Formats: sequence, C-alpha cells, structure tokens
Amino acid sequence: MNLKRIGKKYRYIDHLSDIGIEFYGNKLEELFENAGVGMFSIMCDLELVEPQEKRNIKISQKDTCYEDLLVLWLERLLYLYEVDDVLFSEFKVCGIHKKGWNLVLTAEISGEKIDLNKHKIKIAIKAPTYHMLEIKRGDRYCNWKGRIIFDV
Amino acid sequence: MDYKIKKINDYKWEIEKDEKYDMRVPGIIFADRQLLDHAANEKTIDQVINVATLPGILKASYAMPDIHFGYGFPIGGVAAFDEDSGVISPGGVGFDISCGVRTLRTNLNIGDIKDRLEDIMSTLSFNIPKGVGSKGKIRLSKNQLMQLLKEGVDWAIRNGYGWEEDKYFVEENGCMAGANTDFVSSLAMDRGMDQVGTLGSGNHFLEIQVVDEIYDTGAAESLGLEKDQITIMIHSGSRGLGHQICSDYIRVMQQSVIKYGIKLADRQLACTPVSSPEGRRYYGAMACAINYAMVNRHCLAHWVRTVFERFFGKSSDKLGLGTIYDVSHNIAKIEEHNVDGKLKKVCVHRKGATRSYPPGNKDIPDRYKSIGQPVIIPGDMGRYSFILLGTEKAMSESFGSTCHGAGRLMSRTKAKKNIQGSELKKELFNKGIIVMAGSMAGLAEEAPQAYKDVSKVVDVTHYAGISKKAIRLRPLGVLKG
Repeated sequence: MNLKRIGKKYRYIDHLSDIGIEFYGNKLEELFENAGVGMFSIMCDLELVEPQEKRNIKISQKDTCYEDLLVLWLERLLYLYEVDDVLFSEFKVCGIHKKGWNLVLTAEISGEKIDLNKHKIKIAIKAPTYHMLEIKRGDRYCNWKGRIIFDV
Repeated sequence: MDYKIKKINDYKWEIEKDEKYDMRVPGIIFADRQLLDHAANEKTIDQVINVATLPGILKASYAMPDIHFGYGFPIGGVAAFDEDSGVISPGGVGFDISCGVRTLRTNLNIGDIKDRLEDIMSTLSFNIPKGVGSKGKIRLSKNQLMQLLKEGVDWAIRNGYGWEEDKYFVEENGCMAGANTDFVSSLAMDRGMDQVGTLGSGNHFLEIQVVDEIYDTGAAESLGLEKDQITIMIHSGSRGLGHQICSDYIRVMQQSVIKYGIKLADRQLACTPVSSPEGRRYYGAMACAINYAMVNRHCLAHWVRTVFERFFGKSSDKLGLGTIYDVSHNIAKIEEHNVDGKLKKVCVHRKGATRSYPPGNKDIPDRYKSIGQPVIIPGDMGRYSFILLGTEKAMSESFGSTCHGAGRLMSRTKAKKNIQGSELKKELFNKGIIVMAGSMAGLAEEAPQAYKDVSKVVDVTHYAGISKKAIRLRPLGVLKG
C-alpha cells in the first residue's frame, strides 16, 4: 500500500460502466464502516449530511463469509436510505462475531432526511455487486482491505 | 485471456471455443473492426468467454455492437439456455430488471413547440418525479402492489392510468406471465411501494424528440411517423423493487452453485438450473419486476399526457399521444427458438440487448405485423436515438436480439473529471437542446462524449442483419434525474 494512503478510509476505483471503491480498516468493524462511508460518498457530499436520524442494525446470516456479510450490510444501508429517505454519514459497527453457524453484525448508523437543496446529490446506487468483490488481510499499513463494485 | 478471433464477415466475429477456459460454445461478436478493438481493449471479450462456460448454453455467447465491460455478464450480451439442462442467472438480467424504453408519438410538428420548448420542459420537470430519493404520486397498499405485480399494465388501466389500447403496444401485452408475488421479499415490496411512476437517476431519461430522418417510408407510415414530427421517449426500469429482487436472488444462487455443482468464473454469474425450485422462484419474482417496470413507464407516459393536455389545452387523444412501442432491454424469458433444426423452449437472457422479432411473428401487434417489431434504441442526449425493426435474421443469428443503445466509452469517474455538467448544459443549449437535470455531476457522467456513437452501433446491426434501420430521432428536450 502507498504510504500516502495511510489514514484514508477509501478510494474510488475506475470501472467502465459502474463505480467501485477500495476501502481500508485496522479492525474488521472499521473496514465495514469505511465501506459505508465510501458508498454514501458516491451518492452525495457527506460533509453536508448531519447525523440527526439514528438507526440500529442487526444482521445475522447463516453459513456466510465476510464478503457476503459486507454485501448484506451495504444492501441494508441502501434499503434504509430508499425506504426512509435518509442519507447516512456516520457508521459505527459495534461488532462482527460468530454465533453458532451465523455471522452477526451489529451497528448504529446516523444521517439526515434527504434535502435536495442542501445535500449535493450525485447519483443513486442500485446495488452492491459480487464482481471483483474481495476482503483480505492488509499489510503493515492497515490490517484489512476490501474492494467492491456498485451498479449505478 | 488469450483467445483466437475469426472474422466471419465485416460485422460478425467468432471467438473460437477454447477448452482451456472451459468454454461450452464459441463467442459471437457483432461489431465492425473499431468496435471490436474497443471491446478487446477493455477486456469485455473475457466476459463473453466467461458466459460461454455456463451449463446448457446454446449455440454461442453473443455480444451486440454496443457491448461494454459490465460485472459478470457483459452489457450488450445475449445468452440462451436449454430449458431442461440450462441455467437462469439474475446477473444475466441485471439489477434494473426490465429497464426499457417507451416511445409515444404526437401529431405536433417541430414548429408547434420550438418556441415553447423551455416552458414545456420546465412543466415536465416539475411534474415528473425523478432523481435521487424521488417518490411517486401513486401511494399503494401492499395488496394493491401485489395486484400490480400480478397484472402489470392491466392494473394501471383499471385504475385510470393510460389508455386501454396502450397495452397492445407493450412487449407481452403489458403483462408478463408467471409473475408470483410469493417469491418477492418484503424488502423488495417496501422499496417498490411508492416508486411507481418515477424516472430514477443514472442513465434514465425522458426526452422530447423530433423525427430527424426516415430510412424506411413504409415502416414510418405503419409507425405513424413523418419527418419533423414530435415524439417522446421514456427510459426507465423497475426501480428499487427490481434492484432488491436481483440482490435477493444473487444471494440465493450463491448457494445454488454449490448445491448443483456449477463452476463459475465470476461470482456475479451466479445461477441455478432453469427447472430447479430456485430457478422457478427467481423467474416468478423477475416476472413481477417486469410488470412493475412496464407499469412504471406506463404511468410516466400518463404524466406526460397530462402535462401536454394542460400545456396545449387539448385532450391527449386530440394530440395523438399514442404509444408506438414499449420494449425492455434487461430481461430473461422463456421463448421458442429454432436450435439445430428443432423448435425448442429456451431461456433467453438479454442484458443490455433488445428483442428483435421479425415481420409476421405472433408476439408483435397487428399494426406492425408487416414491418416487424419496433426496436427502440435510446442514444445519448447530444446525438440521436433510433427506431429499428426486428428481422428474420435476428431469429437465426442472435435468438431474436439486437443492440440496446450506444454503450459506454468513458468511465463515470473519467467523465466527471473531464466534463463540467454546467458547461455541457450550455453547449447543448447552443445546439438547440434543452437539458433539465437534478445533478450537474450526474449530467457530466451521461455526457455524449462518454458514449460510443449510437449511429455506428445501429449501422452494425443493420449491416449484420439483426435489425433494420427505420427512423432516426433527434433530442430537443432532455429530462434527467
């Protein structure tokens, strides 16, 4: 990893039809948080979104892996954004742990109701995809790295 | 990947079947030299090869001339699978299930609207729900949504949206058979509840266009079009409901590939046997999303009619606002095709490809029986769109399919870096095109420069014989989400 990238949460990846991000974290929880930040920063200017509305999330999935859990997490964020009209800007993943055969993620997220005049809306994301999807151990600069492509 | 390309003619190329990549069939690419080189440079051909490895694929993995790099399946890809031994793949349809185009004619001429275009566009912009976070004007209960998903356009007509005759000019007469709401998740239902009649964002648009050139006068007469006549084009899909159904079933099929022992080159190609319980469930849910998308475009057309009625002070009937045709370009369907001299039921996937049925086909409206199915090709906002006609050759060469649009040339990030949305708006205004967009960044991503020249794409389909040029349309007013 490039030294300059230390401390960076994510970066965009060029993809001809769609948009992807590579995201980083020292803990798995942080990696998932930064994937959320990266996804919503594709959609709007996150600095303009205030953490007014809170939601608690719990995802429990049987026989799954971190990659699939990541897709589920991002899908859940998109669902809440679309159904509740909320753009999210703060993501706190409280834990990712195994419980029996299940992987369980708990999180608290916050954001603000969409205001077209206030938030600089860029583009809507349709869904996260499995294409080029990856979560792996990082290097000496960060412990975890991930990559995902979104359909826009 | 290294592969061998064999030239069949100037517009058709074969990627030879190579066992090294577990290809079951060859790849066929409809393109001229330039479009082929472009596909090769961006590794799209690797995706054509990956599709050729899927079980039960028939004849070939096809690529239309607008092909470009997608996720899993290429965009502009066509693949047909044996109903008994083949597979069905949500990724081969795409997230925006039944994304498609509807075109309306009017009896207005360019002279009738030229000076009032800006006002009409503003009124449309105000009245058409569009862009990020848009909610429709129609509020549905869960039961009403379930009825809509089962009945398609019939539901809309029964509830006062659109004309009775519209449905005869929609693929499948506006109602896709086999829709089963038991297979649609509550998450998908929630997302679909208040988005009926919304345009969305991205490459979706609503355009006022003018007939710019006629290539086939007989066809123009059947389509009810003359030079300088005003038309309206609506490009949208199944919105959040379709996206969620695709996501739900890609997850189901991650398990299916293990259960049925299917080897994949890319996880996004996840699939299941057509005849498996998982396959039947996906087909039932996908059919619901197709019905939703057709109703969505139908209701958008209804809002267009109401705006035109108010604006011109005449009924939409008097304004001649009839539907020319409505056709999807992200779809999988069970169709009957000739395979090795025998009629066979196959599951045709068109991901960024349009059905192109020939004259006389039983599934096209009587009005077009003599000319073939209208194939509507949306172009970019600065150049043209086209109406093509289906051909007999498409049936034998590409499972009754042709291209779907221009195809991307430049990534969204690159487009945003190189093009200013506000500059683009001015540039198009100077060319006589009025653009209304919710997001300037979004507009830059959809700039004409970001797309291939759609005229070249349709020329290839014309010379390859998989569709025939009939009408060229030029944009006058563009509404983007």
